[in-house]
Amino acid sequence: MHLVGVDVGGTFTDLVLSDPEGGETYTHKIPTSGDDPSEAVIRGVYEVCRMAGIEPSEVSYLFHGTTTATNAILEHKGAEVGLLTTEGFRDIVHIGRHQRPQNYSIMQEIPWQDRALVKRRHRKVVPERLSPPRGEVLTPLDEEAVREAARELKEAGVEAVAVCFLFSYLNPAHEERAREILEEEMPGAFVTTSSSIFPQFREFERFTTAAINAFVGPKVGRYVRNLRAGLKEGGVRADVHIMRSNGGVSPSEVAAESPVTLLLSGPAAGILGGAFSGEVSGRRNLITFDVGGTSADIGIVTGKGFEEAGARDTWIAGFPVMVPMIDVSTIGAGGGSIAYVDEGGAFRVGPRSAGAVPGPACYGKGGTEPTVTDAHAVLGVLDPEHFLGGNMPLYPERAFDAVGGLAGKLGMDVREAADGILRILNNSMANATRAVTVQKGHDPRAFSLVAFGGAGPLHAVEVARILGVREIIVPAYPGINSAIGLLTTDLKYDAIATQFTLSTDPDLERLNADIERLEGDVRAQLRSDGIAQGDIEVSRGVDCRYVGQGYELRVPLPEGR
Amino acid sequence: MQGRKAKIDPVTAQVIGGALENVAIEMGHKLARMSYSSIIRESEDFGAALLDAQGRQLCESVDSTPLQLGPIPGYMRGIFRVMEERGETFAPGDVVMHNSPYHGASHGPDVGFCVPVFRGEELIGFSFTTAHHLDIGSLHPGSTGIVDAVDAYAEGLQFKAVKVYDAGKKNEAVWQILRDNIRAPGMVVGDMEAQIAACRAGAERFVEIVEEFGLEGVNAASEELMDYSERMLRSRIAELPDGVYRAEGFIDGFVDSPNENEKDLKIAVTLSVEGSDIHVDFEGTAPQVDLPINMPFEGTVDVAVYLTIRSILLDSALTEYVPQNDGLTRPVRITAPKGTLTNPIFPAPTIARFCPGNIVADTVMRALSEVAPRNVSAGVGNLKVVAYSGLVGEDYWVYMDITEGSYGGRYGKDGMDAVDTLFANTRNNPVEDIESHYPLRVDRYELRDDVASGPGRWRGGLGSIRQISFLEEGRFALEGDGHRFAPWGIFGGEEGIAGDLLLNPGTDGEQHLPSKIPDRRMRAGETVRTVSPCGGGYGDPLQRDPARVLDDVLDGFVSEENARKQYGVVLSDGGVDAAATASLRERMAGERA
Repeated sequence: MHLVGVDVGGTFTDLVLSDPEGGETYTHKIPTSGDDPSEAVIRGVYEVCRMAGIEPSEVSYLFHGTTTATNAILEHKGAEVGLLTTEGFRDIVHIGRHQRPQNYSIMQEIPWQDRALVKRRHRKVVPERLSPPRGEVLTPLDEEAVREAARELKEAGVEAVAVCFLFSYLNPAHEERAREILEEEMPGAFVTTSSSIFPQFREFERFTTAAINAFVGPKVGRYVRNLRAGLKEGGVRADVHIMRSNGGVSPSEVAAESPVTLLLSGPAAGILGGAFSGEVSGRRNLITFDVGGTSADIGIVTGKGFEEAGARDTWIAGFPVMVPMIDVSTIGAGGGSIAYVDEGGAFRVGPRSAGAVPGPACYGKGGTEPTVTDAHAVLGVLDPEHFLGGNMPLYPERAFDAVGGLAGKLGMDVREAADGILRILNNSMANATRAVTVQKGHDPRAFSLVAFGGAGPLHAVEVARILGVREIIVPAYPGINSAIGLLTTDLKYDAIATQFTLSTDPDLERLNADIERLEGDVRAQLRSDGIAQGDIEVSRGVDCRYVGQGYELRVPLPEGR
Repeated sequence: MQGRKAKIDPVTAQVIGGALENVAIEMGHKLARMSYSSIIRESEDFGAALLDAQGRQLCESVDSTPLQLGPIPGYMRGIFRVMEERGETFAPGDVVMHNSPYHGASHGPDVGFCVPVFRGEELIGFSFTTAHHLDIGSLHPGSTGIVDAVDAYAEGLQFKAVKVYDAGKKNEAVWQILRDNIRAPGMVVGDMEAQIAACRAGAERFVEIVEEFGLEGVNAASEELMDYSERMLRSRIAELPDGVYRAEGFIDGFVDSPNENEKDLKIAVTLSVEGSDIHVDFEGTAPQVDLPINMPFEGTVDVAVYLTIRSILLDSALTEYVPQNDGLTRPVRITAPKGTLTNPIFPAPTIARFCPGNIVADTVMRALSEVAPRNVSAGVGNLKVVAYSGLVGEDYWVYMDITEGSYGGRYGKDGMDAVDTLFANTRNNPVEDIESHYPLRVDRYELRDDVASGPGRWRGGLGSIRQISFLEEGRFALEGDGHRFAPWGIFGGEEGIAGDLLLNPGTDGEQHLPSKIPDRRMRAGETVRTVSPCGGGYGDPLQRDPARVLDDVLDGFVSEENARKQYGVVLSDGGVDAAATASLRERMAGERA
């Protein structure tokens, strides 16, 4: 059996090929192809197969971490989206929670207003209305109005539609019927409903999540089609499985239906890679510490697996996203982060990064501003003789010039300034780590820190010291850890339903029926993925809160009725 | 460096600053998660901060609203003052409750809880939260729309630095009196307990930080962070030309009052810049009234001034991260004549001070517009706060709904649509939350597209329309403003559109109401529609990019007719007719001259 993991990053596409039955492991790194990242993926797969001396047809499973959905939302390059919603509520996705993102700013942007996912001209309202607590129909769906809206959207060149009705989390019937009509009237369009993505209350967040799904849907769909076609053409028979934000993989076709679940595909693979490295070292409580050139992703793994974020707390590109996600704390701090003195005299590092071009001063590619990597060069941490295995020249004297300029402004000598850069950065990283440990009730002293990514191992010791972490694990291949993580994953699906009930007076009939339905859906999906009944594991939970409070804690629910 | 020698190295200062801020954020999370009322857990109308032993604010929670955060140092000064008068001191285990608007509180419903932080015997600081409570025992249900209170006593219970825990021992009598004198006591007391728990968590973490870095280190870092914020603000003030800048704003007051002195009330701002100092004076502002739109000088007026100046001169979208702390108040001096709306004399009522405070902020911005034209917006539309309530058996339900205003146009940008404004930044309550908890139905929540918002090169933001019906008999009260005076236009931009309030719209009983409605009974099926103002325009509308006008037409915000009349833009075949637009604009400019 041959497993291939492919992780596409901003700069590099990383690959690993492994034979779990004892064969050798091969790793490979090639530049990411800009316009169509599937090109590099396809080429990389052939190349790594050649390295291993196997035919592409011998690959049994192909696991993939992708940034296609992430970049579409970050760069705001998505589809022309339409939105169908309840009459009287055309602008929910525009008004949001009526809160400005920043407290102290007149000139700020509001992402959902300045970078709307759906233009108002494409937001159509139709008569229909449900009401709580059970989703009773107050106003039936006006099907003719849906048809009319579909025709208008089609005419306007809309290629994806989000159907977003109030209280659909209690009763999806209106959204489902509207979806059928839209699919009839707009063949080929990407149609999604808010209740199928995440059936929970809070309309702005749920509607926005559906709109993001529509916004990235066509692009992800095209990418997946290209990838599958290209691999098939080259003789790869295995289906591609894509890593989702929840830390599981699903077949590429299934993933393409809910691309909003792919926004953290890359970081999720990293955390799984960290978890794997910890496991082979016999450690269960891990802080995964993935530091690249511009950002650091920090996650938590315990004996129960990785941590999931509360759906209320997840934001991407300034938009709320209500889908199950691995809990990862990301900050703009990495090897390329630039250090400077601001106009008030404060010493700062990042989040601006020198990136790949021009890069840190010591790379000699034209960078002149002092970066974190330059601080390492000044302090002699990086060995010019063996940088990137001796494959990349390093110019420490340029680092001295860049950091020296900063040191002058601070009245320090150059080594003090370099040390200061690292201290500030390490403390920012430690604070970001606290957000996923201390603030979630984990004591970092009971954890090992797994350091990977290009710069992770350089900062691990100091961050561990600040947090009181006693042990650091550096994986054998820290640079391709995410690709390795892909090989360790399971197929995983989340199914959610909302029903309010008191724990003191539960409607057990209905609760059991709902749970059985959800479990049945998930098992059916896994069986259609070719998984044997005995290999399926289902875990169930309920979100509980005290009567009157607004935030839930997830409590595991034992098996049985 | 600005020639000033810091007592602590800049690296350690940043580290300690980050750690302190983390504590305040954690306090905010705790409070939001543990509270019961939607006004705290959904609308985030709360504040959390740490202060040093002198009561100077060190850091604050970012997930809360400025109008709760800004007043915290004032609450602390009020507590110091009261306790000193009584000869009381702080002891470990104390929890102090305070809400007196004549002793630094923002207004009665915003109750502050203060936990003194001790390391051993030594008082090293304070952990503080504030939050808006649903009911505080006012003359009628709810804590908003109490617009007919004649004095501070009618507004509800007043707590002046009351130790609700005294050296760790719960003061049961105070809690009992409280429970017996407010509506919805279960919810309100639950929210107060959440505040105390958040304060205690903050106090513990504060001590941990002091253990780690030493008290001297923490104090030195705090001094440096305050000095830093002060230096940043001073450097921006110094860039402004010295001079005296004036502006006037008006609040509706009580337009249905027979008393002329209770309507169309002036807020006068004289803002003097001298070097790196600003002095804001309110001479010329209308005298105080026997209605609760007077504003506590400390807690509302000072906060409106500080936060507006900060948001304009140290706009967080344009500048480095500058911690919100005591340093930002040092370059700004504020004065207001006693007996005016901006400095009332006890027991003048103040509970409905929110909307007038927004006009104070808006008028300060207007005074600065001449010298900071690229950092201000045109006039801001005010909002409305509504209390819905009713009885189930002998128990009250109370729901507080905060609607939104809108911003004026800005240099290079249109105004923000349908947001909370200036010195506040709460969240709305989801429709799906409201209908799940109260006998109310939300009929409509949309942007206003019936009118054109303030035309300008960059137009004013759009207000909202929110319509709510009673499913059962209940009560309703409202405080708002902005019905009489539209948000101002600037630099050739036109004024925006005033707000409105309708009772039972679209029925035979349709009525337009003024912006302040004391408690009234509502029958099942009756409906309230709040219509918020649209912001003023910035710059000459004839200079607006025709493509933006076309977008507004396509999105339904501007009619084709208004595109022509207000912007001189001619559309044809779904696009801009460039030639016709150029000649129309030329003709309009000529007619104007």
